[in-house]
Amino acid sequence: MPGPHLDATRMVRRAAQELFPGAVVAIGTGLPCYLPGEFPPGAGAWFLADSGVLGYRGLETDGAAVDAGGNAVALRPGGAFTGVVDVAGILRGGHTDIAILQPSQVAANGDFVHWTTESTQGLFAPGSAVDMAYGASKVVAVMPHTYPQGRKNIVTSCNLPVDGVGRIDIIITDAAVIKVGPAGLELMEIAPGWTTDDIVAITDAPLTISSGVKEMTFNVPTLEPPNKVYATAFEALADVPEGSVINVDGFAGPGGMAHYLMVGLRDVGVKGLQLISNTAGIARMSAFGAPNIIDHSILVENNQVAKATASYPVSPSASRASAFEEAYNRGESKLEVVPQGTLAERLRCGGAGVAAFYTPTGAGTLLAEGKETRTIDGKEYILETGLRADFCIIRGHKADTLGNVVYKGTSRNFNPVMATTAKITVVEVDEIVEPGELGPEEIVTPGLFVDRIVLRPPDFSAYL
Amino acid sequence: MTSVSDNTSRPGKVFPSAQAALDGLTQGASVLIAGFAGCGIPENLLRGLAETDVGDLTLICQGTWIQESGRFGIADLVASGQVRKIISPMPFYPEDGGPVKSHWESGKLELEIVPQGILAERLRAGGAGIGGVFLPTGSGTRFAEGKETRQFDGRDHFFEVALKADFALLRAKSADTLGNLVYEGAGRNWNPTMAMAARVTVVEVDQVYEPGGLDPESVITQAIFIDRLVLTS
Amino acid sequence: MTSLEELAEKDRLPREIVAMRVAKELPDGAYVNLGIGIPTLVSSFVPEGRTVYYHSESGILNCGPIAEEGEEDIDLINAGGQYLQSVGGMSFFDSAEAFAMIRGGHVDVTVLGSHQVSATGDLANWMLPQRGVGNVGGAMDLAAGAAGVIVAMEHTDRQGNPKIVEECTFPLTGKGCAYLIVTDLAVIECDGKGLTLLEVAPGWTPEEVQQLTGAKLTISPDVKEFEL
Repeated sequence: MPGPHLDATRMVRRAAQELFPGAVVAIGTGLPCYLPGEFPPGAGAWFLADSGVLGYRGLETDGAAVDAGGNAVALRPGGAFTGVVDVAGILRGGHTDIAILQPSQVAANGDFVHWTTESTQGLFAPGSAVDMAYGASKVVAVMPHTYPQGRKNIVTSCNLPVDGVGRIDIIITDAAVIKVGPAGLELMEIAPGWTTDDIVAITDAPLTISSGVKEMTFNVPTLEPPNKVYATAFEALADVPEGSVINVDGFAGPGGMAHYLMVGLRDVGVKGLQLISNTAGIARMSAFGAPNIIDHSILVENNQVAKATASYPVSPSASRASAFEEAYNRGESKLEVVPQGTLAERLRCGGAGVAAFYTPTGAGTLLAEGKETRTIDGKEYILETGLRADFCIIRGHKADTLGNVVYKGTSRNFNPVMATTAKITVVEVDEIVEPGELGPEEIVTPGLFVDRIVLRPPDFSAYL
Repeated sequence: MTSVSDNTSRPGKVFPSAQAALDGLTQGASVLIAGFAGCGIPENLLRGLAETDVGDLTLICQGTWIQESGRFGIADLVASGQVRKIISPMPFYPEDGGPVKSHWESGKLELEIVPQGILAERLRAGGAGIGGVFLPTGSGTRFAEGKETRQFDGRDHFFEVALKADFALLRAKSADTLGNLVYEGAGRNWNPTMAMAARVTVVEVDQVYEPGGLDPESVITQAIFIDRLVLTS
Repeated sequence: MTSLEELAEKDRLPREIVAMRVAKELPDGAYVNLGIGIPTLVSSFVPEGRTVYYHSESGILNCGPIAEEGEEDIDLINAGGQYLQSVGGMSFFDSAEAFAMIRGGHVDVTVLGSHQVSATGDLANWMLPQRGVGNVGGAMDLAAGAAGVIVAMEHTDRQGNPKIVEECTFPLTGKGCAYLIVTDLAVIECDGKGLTLLEVAPGWTPEEVQQLTGAKLTISPDVKEFEL
């Protein structure tokens, strides 16, 4: 006789070992809902529920927050509320490190069936399982090895319509841990009291036994929150590589621009930058700011800018050319002009994993030349693609040490959108506070988008 | 800060009752209904909709929730025969299908079952004036079947057309009389997206303030998307 | 027929009157986006008893009046970079949402200036070809998205050339988006096919307005003097 089947707690404790500090972990319905409660409240992982709850801990009896399964949960300090469309963006946009799901069936190639069973084939309920499976970097299945009695859930190929093709990376059951690889399934760990033969007997798919097969353990890792606070702008940007795409906020006026980070980027001196920004440095030439304000021009003047993508790239007056216009006219910098709303939407889509979209803006104009057009419901649209970046520098008002950000007034503008688009997002703020000090309803940019935080020094002036 | 606590008719966007706020919602209408599990459900508006006897409705929603929350919900509208079609990522719970399952089995109810992220993005596109989007979700599954496919960054993406509706029924915690909204906890869910995607957007709220009663930084749904407000009873 | 030289000397309406005439078009409760130039002045002339809510692509809805000198707040600006007063009922949002409001048709009326407007309502206001580069900003989104564009501008450019033309020669901002043109000489309706002259400035005849217009005007049988 094999040992006992593991209970839900032990299954999710084993799944917890897949996490790492700072991981964004999407929690599906069913067994995965028990996982966050196995960690202390301050653990350095972001648990995400598709109900719009971000950064929560265990199940509670009551509260204004529910998880994917509709169970009441409590926020951790620094947790925040969001909407389902933003959750979808976090999943699809590559911001989710691990998704933990409970499929009803998994095949040898990683295909899975979510909630469909033989008795309910025409009725199914994907919820966010498909979004999670296609969006997360790693997908963990937590499920009973057999259920109901005798039905084998790990199969050679699924006999029901699948909710994901080749998406599952690892299967954690009440008896074993199985890795899904290109060559099929590999048995990595077995529950106490079980033998490899016992597992083979309850598995429909062929299993390779790993040479290092071992007994499952149930210790939950300590996840220290990664440190995001950097001492200076220079240190936060020291590793920006040559030729990087950099998203820079700045509607144009002195509010909303990361002046201190701009100075840091200039001092780092890295060349060949491709800036994506509303303007290409015009504050000194326009009515938007004082004449000596720090803006992108300092990067242009330092010969760091190879290209700008902007909606408002030059001075409103031809007789007062900006540094960028002069560089452009000398042939030193390239320019892509994008309507402001299209720019915002391209950034939003880049961050939310929307590869391309049809917009009516610019149809029939110079800026539509060479672009695909499509008539939808009698209206003409043009195809635009999502924009991403290597680095992003943004300006917030306050951040907590987890990277949650709030803004001030109209200085919000492009900042929250850009924060979602870059591999590394760096924020400059007036004040850094402890997690829990920013209200969960007020947080605009959740910390999972922010990698580095810099405090604008109190004696720093936005003016040259 | 003045709280408008009486339920009398006011000029502008505040309506005296759910029934009055649903004026113009007619036979065959498409209706967005916000809510996730037990949170952010416009229960009063749903009751109001049941009282209108308007039928042949297409409902677009997260799920039907009645069994677990014990509240009046979409399943009740299905049971009363007002609903022709539901577009939803989770229209029922497999083990506990309720009226949705029985009406579907008897052919009285059509179901379009779509992953949550796809539905959310289609509604956002509708609300934001985007004609359609290419999404990577569901490659190789029934959710991508028959859809226009295109490669971006070496990965298959599928065309999803924007989705809009005639009415949206929402639930918020507080509003000001202009229609600015704040939510509570997971009650936010579909509300801000659905607010954008309907011709007429109706919200039930616990409290209505005069303009200035809400912090401008904390407003989640802006007044521009909201047509009618009604106080929860 | 009056000579062009004589017409150039005739009095035209001041910008404030043009703005006042546009303001009359704004329905009670409308959400309105005002562009830079004459459009900015419109907010000062909304008729009494009407409430209009201003949207700005800087990320604010329900903009307050322009801030007093010394009271400027760098975190409270409109799209023209003017500092605003804080008012109850305003709200802030990001750029993606600001343009969702525009493109999604939630902004009811947009008032824009323009270099040129065509007989079919095409708009050209973002780039002068001789400069070779231009600032599109939010103009194309406003032209494409709002439920309707009112153009508010001078009838002719500084050299006296008509700004209302059969076909735009400057790069387009949007096709067929203007439904009303208000200038310092006339109010002209645009139905997408052609232009109808509805009102003329005091002291001007429809024929004189036609002389300074580069596109054929149908003169409304009810044509009248500017109504304010």
